[in-house]
Amino acid sequence: MELLRPHSLGLPFRHAQADAAQGDIEKARCKGDRAGLRFIGWIWHISGGLPLAPEQSSDEAMDKLIPLFRQPGTSYERTGDTLTFRKKDPAAQDKMSVFDDGILRIEKAVTGPVLRYHLTSRILLLCFLAPLLFLSFAGLAIVTGKIEKAPTEETKKKKDKVLPQHPIDKFLGAPAPEKPKKDGKDKSEDDDGKPSPTPGYVFAGIFASLYFVGRILESRLIKALFKKKLLES
Amino acid sequence: MDGVLVGKRLIGTQAPVTVGWENIPRVEGGPVKQFIFTWFQPTMLFALIAFWYYAPNSIAKTSTAIGIGIGFRVLLLALEWVNPRYESWRLTWKELVTDLFYVGLGFTLLGMAEYYIGSDAAIEAIQHNFDWDKLAWFTGLPLLVQAFLISFIFDFGQYWMHRGMHNWYPLWLPHSVHHYITQLNINKGAVGNPVELFLIGLGIGGFFDFLPRAVLLAGAISLGIGTYQHINVRFNSPRWWRFLFYTTEHHSLHHSQDYEATRSNYSNNYIFIDRMFGTCIDGEAELLGMEGGRRMSIGEQMTYPFTEGWKTIKERFGRPVAVPAE
Repeated sequence: MELLRPHSLGLPFRHAQADAAQGDIEKARCKGDRAGLRFIGWIWHISGGLPLAPEQSSDEAMDKLIPLFRQPGTSYERTGDTLTFRKKDPAAQDKMSVFDDGILRIEKAVTGPVLRYHLTSRILLLCFLAPLLFLSFAGLAIVTGKIEKAPTEETKKKKDKVLPQHPIDKFLGAPAPEKPKKDGKDKSEDDDGKPSPTPGYVFAGIFASLYFVGRILESRLIKALFKKKLLES
Repeated sequence: MDGVLVGKRLIGTQAPVTVGWENIPRVEGGPVKQFIFTWFQPTMLFALIAFWYYAPNSIAKTSTAIGIGIGFRVLLLALEWVNPRYESWRLTWKELVTDLFYVGLGFTLLGMAEYYIGSDAAIEAIQHNFDWDKLAWFTGLPLLVQAFLISFIFDFGQYWMHRGMHNWYPLWLPHSVHHYITQLNINKGAVGNPVELFLIGLGIGGFFDFLPRAVLLAGAISLGIGTYQHINVRFNSPRWWRFLFYTTEHHSLHHSQDYEATRSNYSNNYIFIDRMFGTCIDGEAELLGMEGGRRMSIGEQMTYPFTEGWKTIKERFGRPVAVPAE
């Protein structure tokens, strides 16, 4: 397993590392990052805290959490009460596959020791942005539909042909093929195979919903996972 | 690993696979569960065919077919939850998002590409310049014969396109991305590099004149058979079904981490096409993917054929590196 140096992690929130005995320059950079991301960082960052059992030392807690990071494509480093990790191409069934990197730290609060974590997820960010992509596809369908030429007379004639029905199908009771209507409008818009903006709108909606489900679900799942690991005997 | 000799080929020397129907596990549970997971596939296929055969003209439309397709897939997602084939293939939020991203691309960008520059456009142009009315007699055939012909012609084309992808490097490059999936779920068939998804969508069925209802019936047949290619559900498919039709077992073997096993089971709906050409292997695998099961990110899936192709070109045609003489 490869161990990464903390400075190579490139984590957006560096305050935890800074607290772990980094210099003043690092602290200043950390403050800048936080100011810039304060309003949008929640989109792809998940933070939280879990109180440890009063008798549980930080070493014991870290020992219980470490197996979560012994996964293919995961590198981590533990420095005292802080653990930093990074994932590249994690397995689909890796319980933390949603996250790309993060920091876990045991802090001493008034009520006792607390596990604080800060995790980042690119897939949450992509899912948040996906509706914009699909809305742009819907826009593209509208634009290409407008510049496409009207159907030729030949195509119209071909569509107006009366279609036959085989005697077997007639005997079995299948409906007869539809006769072309007199006004020539025998095909509805959705049946001519022409690109429509509707799928773009539908998928924009699907990804917006998926984002909100994922943002809440993954936040709860990771908290439950850490809790389960910390309580394991 | 010793592997199993199938014909002249040794299957499973690189990764574990199960060969032979008698070695594949059955659905566990009571008689009701056994009954449901034995007869679900044939019942749904016949129900779909009956619906499209008798549906009034007012509802026999593409929009209805799309609605039924989506509803059927939601039902199959529920079945994945109830009766998974492997726990190691469980659908996660991240996997669902990734899969639906590709499904979305198929319905939007790739749909537009097929319409304007794919087989739809090419066939229309060819039909415009030549007299293809000689093939119009197809519309006089019984509906079910037309539907079978449409699905068979398409599947026959898919078989050779897919086989070509596994045997010719320029086609393998875009297809290889699909082989990096590490588990099968209902929407995994949509995952792949867009170039491959465009190629696999090409067909020659559009050359023939068929009744619109026959085209919808062919779609229903593909939905009732081909959808099970990528699914995490354990079925006790009847013997006749697995002899004629493509199953999840066949496709899991095709996605195995064992190289020799991946060179089998190329068709989509009709496994008898593979039986005809000697490429069918009856069996299944749990460990799927490439490079020992490395999961590829969406970013890499988009660029991999081009970066790998560039590397190969440089290796083949690049200036040789001078080696100092000792």
